[in-house]
Amino acid sequence: MDLIHEGKAKRVLQDPDSPERVIIEFTDTVTAGDGDKKEDFTGKGTIACEMSKYLFKYLEGKGIDTHFVKKAEENQLLCKKAEIIPIEVVCRNIAAGSFCRRYGIEKGIELTQPLIEFFVKDDKLHDPLITTGAIIRLGLAEREDLDFMRSVALSVNYYLEELFKQRNLILVDFKLEFGRTEKGHIVLADEISPDIMRIWDSKATSLDKDIFREDKGDLVATYTQVFEEMKKAKPDEVEPRTESIQVVVETKSGIKNPPGEVAKKALSRLGFADVEEVRMGKVFKIVLRKPITSEILAQLSIMNVKLLSNPISEKHKVRLE
Amino acid sequence: MVIAVLRFPGTNNENDILRALSLIDGANPILVPSRKGLAGLKDADGIVIPGGFSYGDYLRAGAVASVESITEGVRDLAEDGKPVIGICNGFQILSEMGLLPGALLSNESARFVCKWIYLRVSDNATMFTERMEGSLIRLPIAHAEGNYYCSDDEFDSLKDEFRIPFRYCNEAGEVDDSANPNGSIDNIAGIINQKGNVLGLMPHPERASRAVLGSSDGLVILENFVRATKC
Repeated sequence: MDLIHEGKAKRVLQDPDSPERVIIEFTDTVTAGDGDKKEDFTGKGTIACEMSKYLFKYLEGKGIDTHFVKKAEENQLLCKKAEIIPIEVVCRNIAAGSFCRRYGIEKGIELTQPLIEFFVKDDKLHDPLITTGAIIRLGLAEREDLDFMRSVALSVNYYLEELFKQRNLILVDFKLEFGRTEKGHIVLADEISPDIMRIWDSKATSLDKDIFREDKGDLVATYTQVFEEMKKAKPDEVEPRTESIQVVVETKSGIKNPPGEVAKKALSRLGFADVEEVRMGKVFKIVLRKPITSEILAQLSIMNVKLLSNPISEKHKVRLE
Repeated sequence: MVIAVLRFPGTNNENDILRALSLIDGANPILVPSRKGLAGLKDADGIVIPGGFSYGDYLRAGAVASVESITEGVRDLAEDGKPVIGICNGFQILSEMGLLPGALLSNESARFVCKWIYLRVSDNATMFTERMEGSLIRLPIAHAEGNYYCSDDEFDSLKDEFRIPFRYCNEAGEVDDSANPNGSIDNIAGIINQKGNVLGLMPHPERASRAVLGSSDGLVILENFVRATKC
């Protein structure tokens, strides 16, 4: 099998049976600090692979689009080929790791709501935090892609958090990577294992890669233990989460907007003389039963053209909340 | 000939249309509530979509009605070459369906306009304007979204293909801005499709179908329509 890419803890191989698929091989290597600290633990690859398979299947079942197809060899997953977007998406529920160092705060502080952060996927630069404005201007991703990844990361956060909660496991934070498939769909890629997330028990004891970062115990035994707990949770008992999106419909520029003009006149009668122009449009709030996927976004554009807006005179835009 | 007069929830001109059509020899107008779907149009030789406020004008005037299942039957009949007229909200529905090009936007005044207007009928023969080519007629209008808009390319083809049978004008028959009640491009009051069998117009011919109503100029349009159902 041809090697497509070799990462710190995984190898991506071309699936000999299909050009649209790859085989992701999980190695026993564990690294931390951008590869400064590195060690092999026999069986780590297999357990990370098993857990990724388990959680990808769970998330797929909840409607999240992932690259996962099926399990291959014991440390291999068969996946859809996807070009990785060079942005790491981090979701945090509780302060830990670089977040604490960056803001000088204590580990363990609960955030008022989940926080999404973007990092550049580049070891040489030590994966720096990046703003959405910089991502867009550097052409690393489009704004729509960032909104999409943010929305999916929040869905993943909800579904993992609820599952873990059943077994008194606390999801502190995690890092996701996304890729674009041959069809142009953005899917959740990479892996989902304690290598990419922090999980604590109820006494805030680490059950993840922090064991290795902080030399606190047997990594493979801990991964196995946390996986056994996870498997005792009942995925069916996790309530589905709805997603709200907005569709904004506006009259195309160049076409008169009498309701806006009337509103502007009324504003000037009220003394707001500096209002140069008012244009009135519509906002639809749409609540979906499932997480956002490329397929759902495609359906939304059809909805917009077929009913919600009149493409002859109006333009429309979808906003993920 | 069986003429299906459609009624969507919120349509309110269907009785005026039925009454006006009943004055015309050979017309057998029947009321077809939209809930009957395709089956309601089984025997129809022609269709009138009357004015009103289908679905309360929610979303955009005509938008919700335009995706009802009965509209598939309207499309089929139009494709067969049978005559179809959409009046006022009916015109809005036909344009939302895409059977007629362009869109009907809010009146430039942002007001509901209800008054008698004059129309200059085009010199060019159409199925709906026989015996009235080039004439000046008087009909009432009553709408808030009658401001006809289309792209420049679309407007060019409407003109080049003589598909603008009715334009707003003054009492002297002059088509100018001062006689434009809603801001429509080129004073357009009504247009036809490429095939010539689908007419959409904002003014109400049924409300000008007897002298006692103030004018009977609209009756000719409906008579032409009925005659076309026999072809």
